[in-house]
Amino acid sequence: MSVITDAPRAQDSGGQDDDRSRSRRTRRRVWRALQYVALVLFVCFLGFPLLFLVTAAFKTQQELQSPDPQLLPAQWNLDNFIGAIERAGLGQAALNSLVVALATTLIVVVVSLPAAYALARFQTRLRGLATGWILLSQVFPFILIIIPLFLMLRPLGLNNTLGGLVVVYVVWSLPFALWMLRGYVAAIPSELEEAGAMDGASRLRVLVSIIMPLLGPGLVATALFAFIGSWNEFFFALVLIKDEALQTLPQRLALFVGSEGQVALGQLAAGSLLACIPSLVFFAIIQRRLTSGLLSGAVKG
Amino acid sequence: MHRSIRAVAGIGACAVLLTGCAFGGGGGAAATSDPDEEVTLTFQSLAFQDATIQATQDIVDTWNADHPETQVEVVQGSWDNVHDQLVTQFQGGEAPDIIHNEASDMTGFAQDGYLADLSPYLSDDVVDSVGEGLWESVTIGDAVFAAPTVMQSYVVFANTAMFEEAGVEVPTGDELSWDALREAAQQLTADGRFGVGWGLRQPTAAFMNLGLGFDGTYFDVADDGSATIDVGEGELAVPEAVHAMAYDDASLDPVTLTQSGGDVLPGFLGGQYGMYVGGSYLAQQIADSAPEGFEWTVLPPLAGSAGGVQGTSPQTLSVPAESEHADRAAEFIDFFMQPENLAAIGQGDCLIPASEPARADLASATEGQTGWTEMLASGETLEAAPFQLASGYPQWKDQYATPLFQQYLANAITLEELQQQLADGWEQVG
Amino acid sequence: MTTVVARPEAPTPPAPARRGRRGRQDWSAYLLFVPAMIPILAFSVYPLVQGILLGFTDSQSGLGAVTTFTGVENYVRLLDYDLFWQSFGIGLIWAFAVTIIQFVAALCLALLLNANLWGQGIARTIALIPWAMPPVIIAIMWRFMLHPTYGAINGGLGALGLPDDTNWLGTAQWALPAVIVVGVWAGMPQTTITLLAGLQGIDDQLHEAAQIDGASVWQRFWNITIPGLRPVIVAITTLDFINNFNSFALVYVLTAGAYGTMLPMLFAYNEAFRYGNFGLASAMGNVIVIVIAAFLFVYLRAQAKARTA
Repeated sequence: MSVITDAPRAQDSGGQDDDRSRSRRTRRRVWRALQYVALVLFVCFLGFPLLFLVTAAFKTQQELQSPDPQLLPAQWNLDNFIGAIERAGLGQAALNSLVVALATTLIVVVVSLPAAYALARFQTRLRGLATGWILLSQVFPFILIIIPLFLMLRPLGLNNTLGGLVVVYVVWSLPFALWMLRGYVAAIPSELEEAGAMDGASRLRVLVSIIMPLLGPGLVATALFAFIGSWNEFFFALVLIKDEALQTLPQRLALFVGSEGQVALGQLAAGSLLACIPSLVFFAIIQRRLTSGLLSGAVKG
Repeated sequence: MHRSIRAVAGIGACAVLLTGCAFGGGGGAAATSDPDEEVTLTFQSLAFQDATIQATQDIVDTWNADHPETQVEVVQGSWDNVHDQLVTQFQGGEAPDIIHNEASDMTGFAQDGYLADLSPYLSDDVVDSVGEGLWESVTIGDAVFAAPTVMQSYVVFANTAMFEEAGVEVPTGDELSWDALREAAQQLTADGRFGVGWGLRQPTAAFMNLGLGFDGTYFDVADDGSATIDVGEGELAVPEAVHAMAYDDASLDPVTLTQSGGDVLPGFLGGQYGMYVGGSYLAQQIADSAPEGFEWTVLPPLAGSAGGVQGTSPQTLSVPAESEHADRAAEFIDFFMQPENLAAIGQGDCLIPASEPARADLASATEGQTGWTEMLASGETLEAAPFQLASGYPQWKDQYATPLFQQYLANAITLEELQQQLADGWEQVG
Repeated sequence: MTTVVARPEAPTPPAPARRGRRGRQDWSAYLLFVPAMIPILAFSVYPLVQGILLGFTDSQSGLGAVTTFTGVENYVRLLDYDLFWQSFGIGLIWAFAVTIIQFVAALCLALLLNANLWGQGIARTIALIPWAMPPVIIAIMWRFMLHPTYGAINGGLGALGLPDDTNWLGTAQWALPAVIVVGVWAGMPQTTITLLAGLQGIDDQLHEAAQIDGASVWQRFWNITIPGLRPVIVAITTLDFINNFNSFALVYVLTAGAYGTMLPMLFAYNEAFRYGNFGLASAMGNVIVIVIAAFLFVYLRAQAKARTA
């Protein structure tokens, strides 16, 4: 829990006169109310477009082109969903995307965790090198690296395979994951480890029982990055995957966009909505893990 | 960090020495395959409307049934990113055997040597069915790098109910002059409604293609692709007319000049604009999205001082120079070019077949349907626009022409400034 | 209890023990790096270096095109490529504006999402929505919402009695601010989540102790939350800045670079993919790398100083 909360805890200061504590309580209530207002505004700003997407997916072509747009569709019809699934074969594409995104996430987390720990804690020459490389690989325009990368994967037989996509996504999410995780590890006071070590716990035990729980939220955030990054990636999939059976969701969704700005908006919205669902479910499950609450326990113990 | 970058560069330099430079794709000769060998060709189609996707699949199915030794597999691509995909695939030597795109975009690939010469493989019937001008737009030297399939023309759609209400006669005849367009637009403008809506977010192609109606060719292109620019009265006639309608007559909604055709469509369907100028393909969208009882038609082809002639960049089919089965891929293209096939494709997309007999087929297939007679009439006057063959055109278009036209349409620069800067820009690029 | 206030990366133990320990640390550090280094060395160093080196060649598209080393010729050419520098300036405005606004908004949102408010689970999921949407649809959707005549934005402004005829994406005056708002929107989730995860790592007891000492909300925010979050803030603002400077997909669909929104990456992309000048485009990439690296160097150094101060 953080700064702006925790009204109840401050109440124990005792011995203060009633007026002051009452005015304090009122102030606290106003503060809480303001927090809710702000949260609602944020939620509207970030969530409103989803509403747009949902309603567009159920509208007919006539409604979408209507000069007098209504918020809700006149009738909730499913034609766009049927059309989108038939036209783009979204089922197989979703499965491909899921396999690629999950594999990428898993590998990135497993591989970057130890390296990020080393980056944050050890003063080695590698640290400078790794930091330089991380920044360089993020700064250099990805678009200019695609062709050499493509030419490199071909002799390895990795073009036109989902494995090739996983390799690329792992390599290009790693720097980001390393850099993020390094930040989270650095934020954990190293005294905690030293205290553990003094208590006689082995280094590994210290890592597993003290650092890992504290790192939980950071790991979740990093996993989300890797997952979403590969779930949404379009350009490399476009050039690497040729078989329709292996295409990913963003590739199939691109088929709803025609030349000269023509868009099959209803079908695109329906398809995108279906494409969003796995991520949203994933978010809903994983967001609980963003709460650690274990830190105080670790320190007290 | 400096030290690290140097170290990384060092490792990489070794890697480059070991593997050679990746950007030097090897040259391969177009192969002729053993006639009995069974092969599967990939055909990357960009068909977008449901009807066209179906028509394409039907053509391929018919071919496959007759040609067990050469099976064609359709891979669905998308207009939105075909260019980037092709750049990468050509660099990597992995382009599909049959490539669907448009002529102006393929010219660059042809100049780079990526495309096979189709002329040895196309049948005389197919060659004769397409006008000479169109073939010229897909020929470099003696090599034909693509076969033109269907074309777009700019047409004027009209809301006939609004004409009636305003007591304006719906123009008929063989041609619609720009002055007649202007006059009708003024008469239709009233009560916050405009005579014309025109989605000109990307104005360059529209202005250059319609410029041919005033003999405005912009470029004088030599055989090797080098070109000189000439921006004169003919070239500027169309931008000037549009500008005048927007700012002198206030009969054209200036907001639409910053939007895409699709963005303007709701306004036309909602009775905000009496006329709507855009590509003929929009007819399909109007038919799909119009509210009940919406009455519309297509006006006669727009004509300038030089008549109703318009430039166009046809959709095309090409074969990569490095395809292992260039001969078979070209045979399939020859089959695709048959009149009944092109008629089916044209009907699905509301586009005009490049082949004369296909246009005749389509005319009889669509008799009595709104707009088709006028759209096919505008197709008769389509010409290949010469600017497509000028090397450096894409860069001039992106960096100079489009921003300059946009500024002129936003009334931010004068006609003289436009004229001067268009020419100066070409000097910079060329 | 309050001993934990120590700063991250506190000084290492006394000097005598140092040498031995450091040797061991080196060893285990290398071991910990191995799994990450393998894919990196195998798959990213080569294309990256290839890309950088191309910036010193005349590489062009073309079947069998020959590439030769041209040294700094590309950079000399870039010096008078005015359009490139113009776009570079736009890129800096865009990247700074988006990163700063995004950071401030995301920090507020993260604090709210961390404040044990009712409905926090749902709010957290909704806050992630922009992230779940494919970038194409984000851009198309915003184009509809920003439509001057039928868009929800002007509709909403009209309902509030404000001017409702702004042509957001179609005028030089509004296009850049409008795409910046969309950029902020699209990047909010990742910044928010990162900061939220960072907030979770801050010890509650620090806040409790400070509260007992009578520290106000603002004092606690400045003296506990911000220092505790610093490593995470540095990491995410750095990455956001880099990502924003390098982004172009969103703007490409929104305006295609028209009306003063030609970002440098879009410019380099056109140079390579549309005009086939791979060498010159890679040179632009290298220039971008150097300039961003300079900004980051200053920023990271300042942060490191602030931390040890």
